[in-house]
Amino acid sequence: MFDILKERFGYDSFRIGQREIIEDVLNGQNCVAMLPTGGGKSLCYQLPGYILNGSVLIISPLVSLMEDQVQQLRNRGEKRVVALNRFLSYREKRDVLRELASYRFIYASPEILQSPLLIEALTRINISLFVVDEAHCISQWGHDFRPDFLKLGLLRQTLGNPPCLALTATATRQVIADIVTTLKLDDVKQHIYPLDRPNICLYVQYVQTVEEKITTLKHLVAILPKPGIVYVASRQWAETLSEVLREDHRVSYYHGGMDGEQRLLIQQQFVYDQLDVICCTNAFGMGIDKPNVRFVIHFHLPTQPEAYWQEVGRVGRDGNESIAILLYAPGDEQVGQTIIDMEFPTMEQIVYALNALRHGQKETGLTDVQQRLLLYWLEQMDKQEHIHTLAKQLYARMEQRKKEKLTKWIFMQRWVTGHTCRRRSLLSYFEQQPLKNERCCDQCGAHIHANATIERIQQIQLRPWHEELRSMFAIKVGNK
Amino acid sequence: MLQHIVLFCIDRFRGERSLAAIDHLLNGKKTAQTLQDSKWYDVSRLFGMVPIDRSRLFDVARALEADGFISQVDEHIYCTTASGKEKLRRFILPPYIDGWKYMNESSLFWKRLSLLIQTIANIIHRTSFEPIHRDEHIQSFVKRWLFQHTHIKTLARSLYEEMYELLSYVEEKDANIFVWRLTSHERIGWTNEQIAYAINEEDVAVLLSFQNVLHFMLEMTEKEAEKFPLLYSLRERKRSQLTSSAQKTWELLKEGYSLEQIAQLRGLRKGTIEDHIVEIATYIPTFVLTPFLEESKRKRIIQQARQLKTKKLRAIKELLPDVSYFEIRLALARWEREDV
Ligand SMILES: [Zn+2]
Repeated sequence: MFDILKERFGYDSFRIGQREIIEDVLNGQNCVAMLPTGGGKSLCYQLPGYILNGSVLIISPLVSLMEDQVQQLRNRGEKRVVALNRFLSYREKRDVLRELASYRFIYASPEILQSPLLIEALTRINISLFVVDEAHCISQWGHDFRPDFLKLGLLRQTLGNPPCLALTATATRQVIADIVTTLKLDDVKQHIYPLDRPNICLYVQYVQTVEEKITTLKHLVAILPKPGIVYVASRQWAETLSEVLREDHRVSYYHGGMDGEQRLLIQQQFVYDQLDVICCTNAFGMGIDKPNVRFVIHFHLPTQPEAYWQEVGRVGRDGNESIAILLYAPGDEQVGQTIIDMEFPTMEQIVYALNALRHGQKETGLTDVQQRLLLYWLEQMDKQEHIHTLAKQLYARMEQRKKEKLTKWIFMQRWVTGHTCRRRSLLSYFEQQPLKNERCCDQCGAHIHANATIERIQQIQLRPWHEELRSMFAIKVGNK
Repeated sequence: MLQHIVLFCIDRFRGERSLAAIDHLLNGKKTAQTLQDSKWYDVSRLFGMVPIDRSRLFDVARALEADGFISQVDEHIYCTTASGKEKLRRFILPPYIDGWKYMNESSLFWKRLSLLIQTIANIIHRTSFEPIHRDEHIQSFVKRWLFQHTHIKTLARSLYEEMYELLSYVEEKDANIFVWRLTSHERIGWTNEQIAYAINEEDVAVLLSFQNVLHFMLEMTEKEAEKFPLLYSLRERKRSQLTSSAQKTWELLKEGYSLEQIAQLRGLRKGTIEDHIVEIATYIPTFVLTPFLEESKRKRIIQQARQLKTKKLRAIKELLPDVSYFEIRLALARWEREDV
C-alpha cells in the first residue's frame, strides 16, 4: 500500500482518514466517508484501483470535475481511464463500451448511467468498487440535490451490489442517513472526520454600503498575502470587481458564461501563480487543488452553509495560516432572497413547461436544475392528469423545496449577524465541534494580519512576438 | 471595432435584413437562411467571427443610431446614413479573415497548434505542465504527431522558422496578439479579454486580430504547403484533400503534362507520380481515368475483383497478366468510390 502511495502518487504518508478508509475499501466494506475539502478524497478510491481486480466505477455530478480528475490521473501516467458523459459522440461511446473491461477507472455522470446500453455493458464487467463522489447530491436535504442520483441505488443492485464508497465533503447527519438508505448500504462503515480547518481564520467585516464594500475589498486585497479568491453572486459582479482590482494586481474573472478555453486559461494562470486574485462565481474552484491560496473573500453572503464551507475550504490546504473574510452590508439579506426566488419557477412557468413537454418540445424555458427536478417529480405523478392539476402539485413541491432553502438562508443570516463564535455556530450546523484554535474568528478576537511588506507584484511582461517565440522554442538570439 | 463591424453589416444588408440576421451571422448560426444571406450580401467572411450577446448588439445599434450613422426603417431594421457611409469609407476588415471558409477547421487547427507548442516548449525546457486543452482527441493527435518526429530540438527549430516566416507577414500587433494567446513553458496563454486590457484595445478587435492570423496561416499552408510542411500537417485531412505533393501533380496534370513529364519536371520517380495519380483518382471525382487506363481494361479488372471478392492486387494480377499494378490500383480506387 505504501509502495503504491509513493510510486503512483508521490506521497510519503497518508492524510487524515485516508488509510482507514482505504483499508476498509480493500476489505470489501461499504463506506460513507466525509473528509474536509482538500483532504484528498480521490486517493481513497484511486489507490485501491491499483490493488483491486476489475474496474472502479466513479459517479461524479460535474463534468468539469470529472475532466480534472481524469487529467490528473493521465498526468500520473495512467492510461486506463475514461470519462463517460453526454459530450461523447455515439461512435466514441460505442468504442469505449466495447473495451470497457480494460479500463481501471471509469468515470461517469449520473445522466449517462441511464443509458441501457451502458448499464448492460457494465453488468458484463467486473466492478470492483462503486464510488459515488459528492454523495450529498443524493439527498433532498443536501445543498445540491440531483434527482438522477436517486437511481444509483437501483443501479448498484443491477450491477450485483459491488462494494460502495460514498464520498462527501460537507453533509449533515440527516444527509448521511439519506445516502445510506438510498444506496442501500448494509453493514456500512461511517468515516466522519472533523470538518474544521484550524488554520483558517473566519472573519466577518460589516460595512454600511456597497461602495464601502468595494473600498474595503480594495484595501483587503492590497494588504493580504496572496494569492486569493473573491467569490461573488453573479457574473456581472465578477467582471466588475475584476475591473476594480486589476489596476493594482494581476486579477481576472471567471464564470460560467466564458467559453471552455478561456476558463481553462484563467484557471491555469491561477494554479501556476500567474494571477494573484480571481473574482468568480461558484463555478470556480471544484477540482482545483491549489495548496497555497491565502485568502477567500465573500463579497456576497452565500445562501447555504454547505456552499459557504466548501468555498472557505479552498484556502490554506498547505496547512499554513489563511483567512476567510465575509463582507456584509445591510440590505444583503435581499440578495439571497432574490437568488432563491429566481431558482424556482413560477406557476406560469411550470404550466408553460408542461405544455412544451406534452408537445414534445425541448425548450421548456426552465433552467437545467429546474427541469431535472420537474421531470423527476413528474415520473411519480399520473401524467394523464390535467395540466393545471399537475402544475399545482409540482408548484407545491417546488414551494416545499424553496422553504427548505429559505431555512438555510435564514441560518446564514443569523450566523452573519450573530455575536457568537463563527466557527462554533457554523460547525453546529453540521453537528460538529470546533477543533482547538488560536486565531479563531472575529468574535473570538482574531485580527486580520496584513502582509509584513506590501510587495509590488512583478507583472509578467508581454514581450514582442519574436522574443516570445524565441523563448518558447529555445532559439538563441543571433541566429535569426 | 464592434461598431464598425455592425455598421458594415447593416450597410451590406441594405435595410433588407433585421438585427437578428446580423446576430446569426456574427455568431455563426448554421441555418439555411443565415448561410444564404451571408453569401448573397457578401458578408460571409464575418460568419461566426464575433460571437456576442444579442443585447450587446442592440446596444451598439442604438449607439450608432444616436450618433446618426444609421437610421431605422422598420422594427430592428436599419440602413446606413450618409455619415455612416463616410465612417465606413476608412474602415477595412482584417484582410485574411474568412469565417465562412474556415468555419470547420480553424478551431481544430488552433487547438492542435497551441497544444503542440505548449508541449514542445515544456519538453525542451524540461518543465512539467498541464495540457491547455482537455479534449482527448487533440491530446492524442499531438502525441502521435510528436512520435513521428524524433529529434525535438530540430523540430522546434523548424516549427519556429515556419511560424516566424508567417508571423513576419502580418501586422506587428496581430502577430503579438496571436503569440500572447499561446501557452509556453513560462507563461500560460492570455485570454482575449486580458490582452485587450493590457494593450487598451477593444476585446472584439483583439479577437479579430487573432482570427486574422489564424486564417492567414490556414491560407498560406494551403497555398504553399511545401514551404510549411509542419504547420500543414496539423491540418485536418478531409477525404477530398490531397497531400501537398499529390496536389502539385494534380495541378500539372490539369495543365496537360504527361506522367513522364511530371516525373522529370519534379525530379521524382515515376512510381511516386503513379501513387499521386491513384490518390487523385480516389479523391477527385472529376478526374478522368482513360489517359492512364483504358475503359475495357478497367471493366475487366473490376469484373475479376468482383468474382474474387478481393481487392488484393496480386490475386487480380495473376489472372490478368497484361495489366499493370498501377492500372489495377487505379481501377480499384474508382471502384471503391462508386461503391460508396
Ligand atoms: Zn471563534
